[in-house]
Amino acid sequence: MKSILTLMAAVLLLLPSLASAEGAALVDPVKSWDNHWNMFLTIVTTLWAFVTALVIYMSLKYRRKKGQGDGAYIHGNILLEVIWTAVPLIIIIFLGVQSWNVYRQQITVPKDAYEVNVEGFMWGWNVTYPEGLKTINEIRVPVGRPVKVNLTSKDVLHAFYIPAFRIQEEAIPGRTTNIWFNPVQKGEYTAYCTEFCGSGHSLMLAKVIVMEKTDFETWQGKQKEGMVLSPLDKGKKLIADLGCLGCHNITGEKTAAPTFKGISGRETILADGRTVKADDSYMANHIKDPKSTTVKGYSQSMPPYNLSDEEINAVTTYLKTL
Amino acid sequence: MEQAKGFSLKEWIFATDHKKIAVLYLITSLTVFVVGTLLAAVIKLSHWSPAMRELIGAKFYNVSFTIHGAGMVLFWMIPVFLGFFANLLIPLMIGARDVAFPRLNALSYWAFAGATILAVLALVLPGRLDVGWTGYPPYSLVTDANISLYVFIVHLLGISALASAVNFITTVITMRAPGMTWGRLNLAVWGLLGSFVIQLFGIPVLAGAVTLLLFDKYLGTNFYNASMGGAPVLYQHLFWFYAHPAVYVIALPAFGITSELISTFSRKKIFGYTSMVIAICLITFLGFDVWIHHLYTKGVVAWANVIQSFLTIIIGVPTGIKVFNWVATMHKGSIEFRAPMLYAVGFIILFVIGGMTGIANGLLGTDVHFHDTYWVVAHFHTVLSMSMTLLAFGGIYFWFPKFTGRMYNESLAKTIFWLLLIGSLIAWMPLYKAGLEGMPRRYWQIPAQFQEIFKITAVGGFMLILGFVLTLYNFLASAIAGQKATANPWGAKSLEWTLPSPVPSYNFKTIPVITGGPYEYGNPEEKLEGQPAAEAV
Repeated sequence: MKSILTLMAAVLLLLPSLASAEGAALVDPVKSWDNHWNMFLTIVTTLWAFVTALVIYMSLKYRRKKGQGDGAYIHGNILLEVIWTAVPLIIIIFLGVQSWNVYRQQITVPKDAYEVNVEGFMWGWNVTYPEGLKTINEIRVPVGRPVKVNLTSKDVLHAFYIPAFRIQEEAIPGRTTNIWFNPVQKGEYTAYCTEFCGSGHSLMLAKVIVMEKTDFETWQGKQKEGMVLSPLDKGKKLIADLGCLGCHNITGEKTAAPTFKGISGRETILADGRTVKADDSYMANHIKDPKSTTVKGYSQSMPPYNLSDEEINAVTTYLKTL
Repeated sequence: MEQAKGFSLKEWIFATDHKKIAVLYLITSLTVFVVGTLLAAVIKLSHWSPAMRELIGAKFYNVSFTIHGAGMVLFWMIPVFLGFFANLLIPLMIGARDVAFPRLNALSYWAFAGATILAVLALVLPGRLDVGWTGYPPYSLVTDANISLYVFIVHLLGISALASAVNFITTVITMRAPGMTWGRLNLAVWGLLGSFVIQLFGIPVLAGAVTLLLFDKYLGTNFYNASMGGAPVLYQHLFWFYAHPAVYVIALPAFGITSELISTFSRKKIFGYTSMVIAICLITFLGFDVWIHHLYTKGVVAWANVIQSFLTIIIGVPTGIKVFNWVATMHKGSIEFRAPMLYAVGFIILFVIGGMTGIANGLLGTDVHFHDTYWVVAHFHTVLSMSMTLLAFGGIYFWFPKFTGRMYNESLAKTIFWLLLIGSLIAWMPLYKAGLEGMPRRYWQIPAQFQEIFKITAVGGFMLILGFVLTLYNFLASAIAGQKATANPWGAKSLEWTLPSPVPSYNFKTIPVITGGPYEYGNPEEKLEGQPAAEAV
């Protein structure tokens, strides 16, 4: 027991030196994660194989022979038990310290990071860039510069997860949390929502597009010039981006929510018994305050969407064409 | 003396006999197990192909995994151990005629039965629960799911479990037969005792957490409502303060039962009894200080994450001691591979996979990647389904003679074992890969690159379902028409095997005087070979 305590003390004393050993110019948490993971996998696979081999060996070797009585009368063995307490403890503390170091990299944001604000909503991601640009479900960043993502949520809990960068964090309404990643290679990565948030949860994906710095600047310039979409295209994009198709559909099938097919001008019976015509003002009102006009036969699960008049106009323009 | 009496419904409804209540628990929890399995089939079907997903729909998928999770954890795993095994084994193993408060015990069961009916009804009542078994706000506050039903079910279960905990802790402390010292208690009793202690201290916190949820939803308070200044993550702290130790509520009795099976069929004294007991106590107490590993990615301060990360992985040490001691118990034994032993060995092999992958969830760096992915799903399914479920089946087979008076079908049980072992490897191992590559959990839609993996695991899932159907058939057919069992078919030395099969309602004609431990196999000083270390009844 004493030796274990001495060992623990030694490990704890070693920690600060490990901590100052990092801090090289450009840390890549993905690489650290992968190294840590390989170490972990090697250790646990070896341990598992060892235990399983022992179990199988004992099972075969000490199978009861005909006429054999009881097994040997053994109480235990203090030395053996100390060994299989101490060895796992050492391995575990080693892994724990290594993992702590990876975690430290994961939460220590480099000072020169490019900052974007991401807000989760049911069901999508609003992205705001420092230059004032906005995108939905798409984050474009320049390659080679660390990116800090400030997270919050508009409604319920969401979580922002980019597997390629081994990083995730909860998006909490009323609070700001953050993650950072180091996009060392150009490419397109997927970000997922990992906190269950309703029927559109599995459709709440975003693209992380890592671009060449010059391409990124060109893209920003184009966005700023106001590459304006027609109301119809904008409406179509909003319907897709906002996750409306998680419940509604455009094919006319009966799903969790009324179909968009032929919605404009449709005679609709509401849950409170009123019959209304689904005209522009009805659709606009329903988008802003769905609770007031739940359709009969459907459960009220649509969240309110706070869209601008222009956006609502775009949506209704698109819906009319279905 | 007992038989020749026909079946009487009244006798079962008003039963206070711990063995009858045990059987009631078993029937009820197996019923929910069937419902949970059907819902698992829905989930696996929806993983099969995009067309199946469209047919099932997001809402029904979400309701399915909610009731599947709640049902399997709260109505199958916990009750089969703390309801069935605790009721059947504790009085028999400590040499008592019943529990301390038999009528309170009946109340526990009927509160549980009521909760069960409501939980199954939750599938069809309006406002179906689509919130996950965790029911995190604010989503659970904004959806139209019937949270009042959810909270009421948790409270009913809580009343049942708290009454049970008080009852069984009192029973073990005060009703041990003369000579049944703490050092002679069966490890199954120690494990169950640890679980009841966790229930006693944990459930009030869960009850508080869900009550605040109820107030928020229907009375306009704002504990969790962020738009009014509430703290949504607070719920997760309170929830996991109980719900993580709840894992050990399932694991500790499973560990205890494994010790019984391994020792009996190896015909060898349990290796390192004292350290086994210490390990159980350590896990009981450490279990309350690790809940934050469910919240590493929830904006909790880093130092709290670091402390609980170390506490979490340190639980691997006492767990490791148990595993190594089981293996050492087999060493120089005289091992007979009857079905329960096979299930116990399968349990160890699967449980070590689950335990090792659990360390990755406790480690900070790895969990930031794995949190809420299929890695976690694969982890707790290897632990609960199948290793713990496998062990529960093994235990049911082992004590089958004690509560039915009959033997199960041995060769069928062995065949099912291989089906379940291989089925669970196919069903869960590929999901670790999906999680490693970043597949989030609770996803109705499966991104195309993961479709292949999910198709493979669905095959494993259906193997498991086949295994369950055969298991239930084995239980039922054997209970009705199995071979009549002798008092001690295994030659076991634990106290319950001194009693006839099935056990008469009064258990012990005279309270036995205990003269030795339950695992005295091969003790050279013991004169009567094959006789339990207790005076005859």
